[in-house]
Amino acid sequence: MYFKKLKETNIHASSCDCQPTSVQNIFSVVDEVVAFAGREPEKVILILQEVQKRLNYLPSEALKYICKVTEITPGQISGVSTFYSQFRHIPSGKHTIKICSGTACHVKGAPLISDAFKRVLKIDETRNSSPDNLFSIEEVACLGCCTLAPVVQIDEKTYGHVKPTQTEEIISDFLNSGNKSFSLFEIDENKDIDAEIRIGLGSCCVAGGSKEILSEIVDLKKKYNLNIRLKPVGCVGVCNQTPLLEIVSRENVHSRYTNVSKHQVEEILLKHIIPRSLNKRIKHKIYDFVDTFLSDDKLTSQINIPTEQREKYLNNFLNYQVHLATINSGIVTPDSYDEYVMLGGFEALKKCLNQLDKNSIVEIITKSGLRGRGGAGFPTGKKWNISMMTKGDAKYVVCNGDEGDPGAFMDRMLLESFPYRVIEGMMIAAYATGANEGIFYIRAEYPLAVTRVKNALKHCYENGILGDHVSGSEFKFNIKIFEGAGAFVCGEETALIYSLEGKRGTPHLRPPYPVVKGYKGQPTLVNNVETLSLVPWIIANGAEAFNSIGTEKSKGTKVFALAGKISKGGLIEVPMGITIREIIEKIGDGVADGRTFKAVQIGGPSGGCIPVSEADTPIDYEELTKMGAMMGSGGMVVLDDSDCMVDMAKYFLTFTHKQSCGKCTFCRIGTKQMLNIITRLSEGKATLVEIDDLEKLCKSVKDGSLCGLGKTSPNPVLTGLRYFREEYEAHTRGICPAKKCKDLIKYVVTDKCTGCTKCSQDCPVKAIPFKPYEKHDIDQLICTKCDNCRIVCPENAIEIVSLND
Amino acid sequence: MIKFKINNTDYETQEGSTILNVAKRAGFNIPTLCYKEGLPHYSSCMVCMVKDNRTNNFIPSCSALVQEGMDIDISGDEVISLRSKALELLLSEHRAECEAPCRVVCPAGYDIPLMNRLITENDFEGAVRLSLEATKESVLHCFECKAYCENACRRKKVDIQVSIRNLQMFIYESHTQKRTGDALDKKQNKTDKKPRRFESRIGKMELSEQKEWLKECSEILKRSVNITDRNSASGEAESCMHCDCRAKDNCKLRDLSQEYSVKDPKDKLVNSPIVKKINHNTGLIFENAKCIKCGLCVRLCEDLNEEPALCFIHRGFVSIISEPLTEDFDNVLKTRSNEVIEICPTGALSKMK
Repeated sequence: MYFKKLKETNIHASSCDCQPTSVQNIFSVVDEVVAFAGREPEKVILILQEVQKRLNYLPSEALKYICKVTEITPGQISGVSTFYSQFRHIPSGKHTIKICSGTACHVKGAPLISDAFKRVLKIDETRNSSPDNLFSIEEVACLGCCTLAPVVQIDEKTYGHVKPTQTEEIISDFLNSGNKSFSLFEIDENKDIDAEIRIGLGSCCVAGGSKEILSEIVDLKKKYNLNIRLKPVGCVGVCNQTPLLEIVSRENVHSRYTNVSKHQVEEILLKHIIPRSLNKRIKHKIYDFVDTFLSDDKLTSQINIPTEQREKYLNNFLNYQVHLATINSGIVTPDSYDEYVMLGGFEALKKCLNQLDKNSIVEIITKSGLRGRGGAGFPTGKKWNISMMTKGDAKYVVCNGDEGDPGAFMDRMLLESFPYRVIEGMMIAAYATGANEGIFYIRAEYPLAVTRVKNALKHCYENGILGDHVSGSEFKFNIKIFEGAGAFVCGEETALIYSLEGKRGTPHLRPPYPVVKGYKGQPTLVNNVETLSLVPWIIANGAEAFNSIGTEKSKGTKVFALAGKISKGGLIEVPMGITIREIIEKIGDGVADGRTFKAVQIGGPSGGCIPVSEADTPIDYEELTKMGAMMGSGGMVVLDDSDCMVDMAKYFLTFTHKQSCGKCTFCRIGTKQMLNIITRLSEGKATLVEIDDLEKLCKSVKDGSLCGLGKTSPNPVLTGLRYFREEYEAHTRGICPAKKCKDLIKYVVTDKCTGCTKCSQDCPVKAIPFKPYEKHDIDQLICTKCDNCRIVCPENAIEIVSLND
Repeated sequence: MIKFKINNTDYETQEGSTILNVAKRAGFNIPTLCYKEGLPHYSSCMVCMVKDNRTNNFIPSCSALVQEGMDIDISGDEVISLRSKALELLLSEHRAECEAPCRVVCPAGYDIPLMNRLITENDFEGAVRLSLEATKESVLHCFECKAYCENACRRKKVDIQVSIRNLQMFIYESHTQKRTGDALDKKQNKTDKKPRRFESRIGKMELSEQKEWLKECSEILKRSVNITDRNSASGEAESCMHCDCRAKDNCKLRDLSQEYSVKDPKDKLVNSPIVKKINHNTGLIFENAKCIKCGLCVRLCEDLNEEPALCFIHRGFVSIISEPLTEDFDNVLKTRSNEVIEICPTGALSKMK
């Protein structure tokens, strides 16, 4: 066991398998990186990323040497390497445990998970890795697997639905799992294909275990000598039911299975595919027959449920949606260029190149009513028009994939599942506005998206879609990828451009808008991923087809990440104008665990909580803003009666305060002061007067901040005060009505206790004395409120009560 | 030409001018902290906020360009209150003291820390002149005084207070060769009370602060309570912790806080460990607790490739101005330290002597 080992190494804490890097080694690594990255100041982020990849961190010798061999100044390298959270100046453990602190994970208990890992690995403020230097913990803004919340990622392996009591299990599972390599696409083209198996390989599916399923299928393929075409597909959006498996048999019958586990694979497979060899066929039949009698599981397992019933939920989930940006989801292999073309890909681009002039393309987009999907909703046609009119030596199109809102992962899904569509959208934008260079800005936390886009670009170049003559025309277009380095504020377009130029990502006042004066001082069109992925559909189907969907001012569809306390969360694309209630009740199948629907948080840190009483608000830019929330990039986190509004506000303020670039006074100090008051409130120390102060401060920060981040940061507090003021006021009396704020609650054992001692065994701080067959009690002075006892208690005998009742 | 309004009066200007410049030309005064003509705009301090009545948005006038049809409000109540709030927020992380406690309690209002600095530099005449000019009298009040200054001296918390009174008397006597304390008319003792200026206060000195402040002091061995000669005088003067701000008469933050009648916030936030960095080559001092992160010093030296300059490090509330990670503070700004001190709107950058 790892833990025994940990205890041993505590004594010999010096044993470490990461050797200190010699100066000579550092120099050669830097030389190697600079040789391919370049010496220009704008390459600083790339250079730092590559050096860190090779050395695990950024030693100061490396920084000095980089300044010496490139044009980067010491000031620039210091500013940049401390601005972006990706960069480390001290070595970290061999494996990094990333604990997601996104909204969905937060409401499902991520802080407790983080505490549990720190406790188990003996990590505290003084050190950032475990005593044996094997693990370090990093809290990341959002891993984008919101439907599996809470989520923990160790290196590349993701664990979903983590409980604080499982930490040891997860660590040993990680240490015991080797990397299995297998070939996916081995099919014998000479023989008939038995079936096609589609398996989701989006990040959520992978986290749900689809890779294990895949390796199981590969094993079975060999065992039964099956000729199966394995087809990895992108995200279907049913992220809470992962892994998802779809079998298309020889007769072209589709059968879908959700929540597939590894040991079910064999059965599912053999139900639809008949093995070739007679021997194996008979053997299987007999085993199956006997099994049905021997185990109860078999009868109730989803495999034996009739098809309609099994897929009912899936259909409900998908029926209310309209797929434009996510068209063909679950069918198309993200990596396959041929498939994209077969399904009508690049037709819109060709239509633009051959039939339409620039003005009419911009006109179509303007007429369609498409608005920026990044949050603020600026009319896309208007932006394109300005870009088209502006003259410059060079023009750029940037795809803004720096999605950072905790609780939002639609851009990641689009890039992972439909890279070609985003590329096509970008190329149409470029052709219409006269740009010849495109840049994908993708955040560092999305490695799979980066890989997929890279692969897609490669295929586009090979097929002549990109290059000096785009599909044989005179249009020249090249695209490169820029990986962000972990700064939420870089989603703001002016900050994004500074980041591209290798500077600290601080926004500046607009105008000048980037579309007039942006990257390298040239006109730069910055569009969000979702916006661009809607473009090919609009061009192919016409402006009217698009603007017939939606409300008066908000047209088309919007992709949302539905997560939190919802029965069936996932990634959904809905028509504008649908009400919040419809989304939650019809698509999401209501609130989970039979609890009461309290509010829905829309728009992440820039948005707000809309209470159940206003749930009939339609999804529309203006309507949401009127409610005090914001469309944002599309996170939708459902909250139930166990969620505290003060805690939510504290969570979002902690986030904005951490992510503020620190440039303007109101955002830098204002958010800190707001956070201080909210923290005092959550500790029951604030007074009613402070609530008024808080409200005034919110107003000032809203008026006085420089960019969108600061201007919208008070929204979570303001909507909280608007709809849940009594809850704020209760906190001044030392009561947290939702029983969430740690300082205002305590854990008690009720009479239901049977004395099973489970709680006592699982208590990490020994606050519960071991008393078999007796009612247990909790020592309040020792209790750290880690929630372990409540989770393990089989009798639900542990309750959370208010400290001051 | 663009037509627009400032405070309900019509104006016209060329395209591309900032609101600040246009307003200045029209005779309006907009306060600024992070703006300096000739340097790239930054818009961080937000005390230059004005309101566009057309859109109801508040905009920083130093970098916002005038646009057709704007209806700019430069001095309305909302604008004033937003500016005051910006100042209040800046002061809330400005953990610094405008005046040293010794000067605050001195009945004659002598600038004691400055006197100490002059003595350290062996400018005895300057030190005498300084005290006499403060009261515009030819006699020194210290002979009559109960040395409240020494009681207030922060050095007392470390070991013993600086012998301020003895120092004053020694230099006075050694330069005027007379002891005229007796001649002092008690009635004249009361100096004219000046209108009270805005003062930023820190309250109790933290232990970590004390450690930083002692960096400028001499070793304990050089100290002497009885001042008998120039050596002992300068030795004792060197034990002054310089609790005051060297920019007290030249601080834009102080002036604006006075002008907008902002109250000094009681609880000061500290965003990072308080440090006093001293460049031993040039005597440049940087105190991060006084810095308002306007970035003027950074922008001023941005073109400087040959010598390491100051830069921003970290992000958000904890971001600070610092020397590059790869350099010592002793190596920064070898040639331009006077310029950055000049441009600093507060006393965060100053010179030792």
